[in-house]
Amino acid sequence: MINQLKSLCALSGVSGREENVRNYIISQISGFAEYNVDALGNLIVFKKGADIPKNKIMIASHMDEVGLIVTYITDDGYLKFDTIGGIDTRVILGRKVYIGEDGIPGVIGIKPVHVLKDEEKAIIPDLDNLFIDIGALNKEDAEKYINPGDFAIFDSDFTEFGDGFIKARALDDRAGCAVLIEMIKSELHYDSYFVFTVQEEVGLRGAKTAAFSVAPDYAIVVETTTAADISGVSKEKQVCRLGDGAVISFMDRSTVYNRSLYDRAFDLAEKYKIKAQVKTYIAGGNDAGAIHSSGAGVRTLTVSLPCRYLHSPSCVICKSDIDEVYKMVKILAEEFANA
Amino acid sequence: MSEYYNLEKMIIDFANESGPAGGEFFAAKYALKELEKYMPASVDALGNVIGEKSGEGPHILLDAHIDQVGMIVTSIDDGGFIKFDKCGGMDIRVLAAHEVIVWGKQPVFGVIVSTPPHLAKKDDEKKAKDFDELAVDIGMSKEKASEILSAGDRITLKSSHKKLLGNQICGPAFDDRAGAAAILRCLEILESHSYNCRLSVMFSVQEETGGSGAKTGGYSANAEESIVVDVSFAMAPDMPKEKCGEIGKGPMIGISPTLDSGMFSKLKKIAKANNIPCQCEVMGGRTGTNADEIQTSGNGTKTALLSIPLKNMHSGVEIIDLQDVENLAELLAAYIMKGDA
Repeated sequence: MINQLKSLCALSGVSGREENVRNYIISQISGFAEYNVDALGNLIVFKKGADIPKNKIMIASHMDEVGLIVTYITDDGYLKFDTIGGIDTRVILGRKVYIGEDGIPGVIGIKPVHVLKDEEKAIIPDLDNLFIDIGALNKEDAEKYINPGDFAIFDSDFTEFGDGFIKARALDDRAGCAVLIEMIKSELHYDSYFVFTVQEEVGLRGAKTAAFSVAPDYAIVVETTTAADISGVSKEKQVCRLGDGAVISFMDRSTVYNRSLYDRAFDLAEKYKIKAQVKTYIAGGNDAGAIHSSGAGVRTLTVSLPCRYLHSPSCVICKSDIDEVYKMVKILAEEFANA
Repeated sequence: MSEYYNLEKMIIDFANESGPAGGEFFAAKYALKELEKYMPASVDALGNVIGEKSGEGPHILLDAHIDQVGMIVTSIDDGGFIKFDKCGGMDIRVLAAHEVIVWGKQPVFGVIVSTPPHLAKKDDEKKAKDFDELAVDIGMSKEKASEILSAGDRITLKSSHKKLLGNQICGPAFDDRAGAAAILRCLEILESHSYNCRLSVMFSVQEETGGSGAKTGGYSANAEESIVVDVSFAMAPDMPKEKCGEIGKGPMIGISPTLDSGMFSKLKKIAKANNIPCQCEVMGGRTGTNADEIQTSGNGTKTALLSIPLKNMHSGVEIIDLQDVENLAELLAAYIMKGDA
């Protein structure tokens, strides 16, 4: 799964422009399952299992990632931009980006610390005052390479470091996609639906239509969730910890989860010796928000991989957590199919 | 292949050698190897790389600093996170979630911690965290980290070098590896010309922490004229126009009460005579470069300052134009050839 994840993270796929990721996933699952692509671009996959389940099961991950979008080219040839999805301005100053299909390199400019007044030295400029510099001489020069509406992604290689950690861009939620691909390639006990959704980062839009089409009885969202197990953060605010396994949520900003599903997850984790942990802080949201309230309602659970520095160019996960998430999702899917 | 292929490769190779202030080992090793191609060279007590070529004419010293801004390890906390302080004028606004290398017994990759938005209080997003609130995540326990790293190890921003449009390149440490590369390029140009002056070259250490290298190296060289090659601010949308040169418009010749006005005029005249584009950089006093230290070292030396316009100074994405470096090298070479005129 690590190699799969590396390939997935190398692809650009900001919200609304997920085609590279979708085409790659199709290339990986062809021959293992049936699939179709809906009007919004969701990839909906049906995989036959050994048996027909009592309940219709849907497992979801999103293909899109946060990024930037060029809004305007100034007379001097600088690019004004907006963020796609929630990006903290503190993590984008002085970073390299790649713009559009051709990956034109650019940098987010920063006024040197030498020319700042003392009181300005810790102040993060507003997004409105930031720009991307591609080295263009003027507007005409920039227009040869860039159009408003072009997306940009951060420059960040897939790097393994420390004791089993990975740093990369877009781990949210290519890690979930890697888990789903692995499941689709494996033998399944029951027929299952897998959806690779679009536009999660801009308001759970793909999941809404995908859940409507599939109309499942049970859904499992496979995600990454924010981990704050870092220096200077007290234990009760750490949310979850890298290396402690699959994160199970009882509530986040988009969903109050079905309590019996939540309890069942921990029972199964104990029974099958899967490392699982509680998400101990109510924050963030994901596709479960759109899925659980779809149609007449869907029993939904989110299983996440803990991820530090979420939505920054340098997301960090722990390799061993991927296996725990995989085991957890597979067991839960079988359990819910027959519940 | 671009017109400046060789120059680009040299600048990037040089900038890739780590050299945080006081820990210039790798950059100095590269500088020594390159400088020895042109003249006998050695390393002094502080770590400056100094070379000298004899000549009958006046003694000219060329200086560029080889250190870069960075950080320094202060301790390792119980969770294995590396606490640090600045080493040179590091900008705290670029640090959150930035990739770094910690230079311990071996180079160790890490990411500077960034507190996720859910823990932020109102307006936190507008304020960068200070050094005492930051740490490097190296994905190791305290025990394991302590085997490889210790207090005093340097940290540098990790960022790759990339070509932008035209002849512009971006990446870390062009301040002042681009200046040092310009001197090496000048020496390469001089190989095929004759000149009469006695030439010293100094690749100095610890500029970013106050210029100790230039102070001692300038004393040892004891030259009649010194030319300091550094980088200076290039115009960008958020920059004050009066403090900036323009990228791609040639080297900036410094004029200030502390810089020698005769050398300034001569540099300007030589640039004009040789059709080398250049711009003036006017400062009201001290220059904030090694020129300040070298001018007053020993019994003093006439000093000039040439700067490469650079954007985003002290970040991992400094931008320069290769043409400006080439033009600076040509201006230096022309000055040296006229040194005895």
